Amino acid sequence: MLPLIRTEQLSKQFGMFWAVNRLTLEVGEGETFGLLGPNGAGKTTTVRMLSCIISPSEGSALVAGHDITRDRVEVRRSVGILTENPSLYEKLTPVENLKFFAQAYGITNESKIRARTRELLEFFGLWDRRDDKVAFFSKGMKQKLAIARAIIHDPPVLFLDEPTAGLDPEAAKLIRDMVVELTSRERHTVMLCTHRLEDAEKVCNRVMIINRGASMVVGSPDELRVKMSGNPKLEVKLVEGSDRFADRVSSLAGIRGVEQFNGKLLITADDISKATPLIVKVLVEEGGQVLGVNLLLPSLEDAYLKLIREGGAK
Amino acid sequence: MTLSNAMLVFWKDWREISRNMQVLGPMLVVPLLFAVVLPAIIFLSPSLMNVPMSQFGNLGSIFESLPADLKALISTMTVQQSMIYVFGLYFFAPFFLIIPLMASSVLAADSFAGEKDRKTLEALLATPLTNRELMLGKILVSFIPSMLVTLLAFTLYCAVVDIASFGTFGGILLLPNALWLALIFGVTPTVALAAIGITVIVSSRVKGFREAQQLSAILVFPILGLIFAQIGGVVFFGPLMLIGLVIGFSALDVVVFWIGVKLFRREEILMRSV
Repeated sequence: MLPLIRTEQLSKQFGMFWAVNRLTLEVGEGETFGLLGPNGAGKTTTVRMLSCIISPSEGSALVAGHDITRDRVEVRRSVGILTENPSLYEKLTPVENLKFFAQAYGITNESKIRARTRELLEFFGLWDRRDDKVAFFSKGMKQKLAIARAIIHDPPVLFLDEPTAGLDPEAAKLIRDMVVELTSRERHTVMLCTHRLEDAEKVCNRVMIINRGASMVVGSPDELRVKMSGNPKLEVKLVEGSDRFADRVSSLAGIRGVEQFNGKLLITADDISKATPLIVKVLVEEGGQVLGVNLLLPSLEDAYLKLIREGGAK
Repeated sequence: MTLSNAMLVFWKDWREISRNMQVLGPMLVVPLLFAVVLPAIIFLSPSLMNVPMSQFGNLGSIFESLPADLKALISTMTVQQSMIYVFGLYFFAPFFLIIPLMASSVLAADSFAGEKDRKTLEALLATPLTNRELMLGKILVSFIPSMLVTLLAFTLYCAVVDIASFGTFGGILLLPNALWLALIFGVTPTVALAAIGITVIVSSRVKGFREAQQLSAILVFPILGLIFAQIGGVVFFGPLMLIGLVIGFSALDVVVFWIGVKLFRREEILMRSV
């Protein structure tokens, strides 16, 4: 996969404070890459550097093949950005907002602008409100329009900075679903900044957790879960627990540990999926009455919190 | 840089402004006060309200400071004629340098500072529009409406002066004349451009609209100085002075725009809004 975003030791210093510290990453074409971190982690600063709004203090980066320090106009032309705030002109209508940004990004063909505007407003469910001033829109509608604005020129690279921030759960879910649908439909390479684990988990192919401007870990959401919180565990609920059952399960090959509490067994194994049928079989053979079996996946939240706490303790 | 891209910024801003009566109202009212109400009181009320011309006898001291040829000309006129002639053609002239400044002050101060306040600046700075296009667009959105207001004010002012002169000078219409046309189409735009350019630069470098407007208000003082200098007889809005002002302010316009583009650093502009 060709990297459309590539940074090398990218850093940004404000006074004595390093907002971004030697960040190195690659994002392949068509990939949705998450920058996950708490407020002040350096996500927005990274996106601002990559979209040539601010300059890096050190390091380099290529976006869509253009150097962010030398080919600023070309970089700007190649990216779309959803900023922290919707950044919409509230006295203008959605159509006027989109038309202005389409022209600012170099689209001169009126019919092309009209067609793209209609396509996006219909996709985001705003076509019926096309002639209303943006000032009358809800926060969720503004966020949808801001995403439409970011992709009006069909950029190869899209930066989404906190797309669900400040939205209620329902609106946040809607935006997430739309981003997923959009990225699969239009094949943008997306860098999504968020402090919401749900966003990263549901939208991103790969995630980098950053804190204090530095990369802490990178991988797919599943990889991060395993890497940071260990393998999945098996929870077996029994009508009545007994040390006997725990001992029997412990004796099986590949079992790493068994905990027993409140009639439940919590089992870790080298390959829990493979071991599950055998565990259930021996428990039944030992006279255990199995009420339920659950595979407990470590959550990304656990991984994230563990990392951030460790980072904060340093 | 392309003019069409600068005009893009102009039209975007103009659409917003034209839907905001809080901006449009003062933009029209203050100039009309200077161009219509005040002259109408001075030129038309004495005859309408039968104020005796002897009441204006002490104006002679102001006329003392006029150039010799003008003094010779008005010595042949009645008090009312000389008042309309001198005030109408000379003393009100500097006000037409203030009108575009007043009309544009809100718009120019709002140019970047308003975008910061409304949190729309980042998306604008992220576009591939060049620094020159953004600067020029923001200058034009203040310049064009303020010049239109000035032209409207000038037209109405001509009507007021001509109504007064028609009766007093036996059917003669004093305005427009060549000197005033040079003032309105030569000096006023160049002075306005310089002031707007400076205000837009200030607007890009402060945190918000209020700060920008307070700082830009200082720009009116040199023009007020010109008014008082003319009343005091230190300067006189004659042809030579107008040519000097056009050349001087045209050069200043270029310098201001050049400085504005040089100082236009997106990072600084954005960070000052934080």
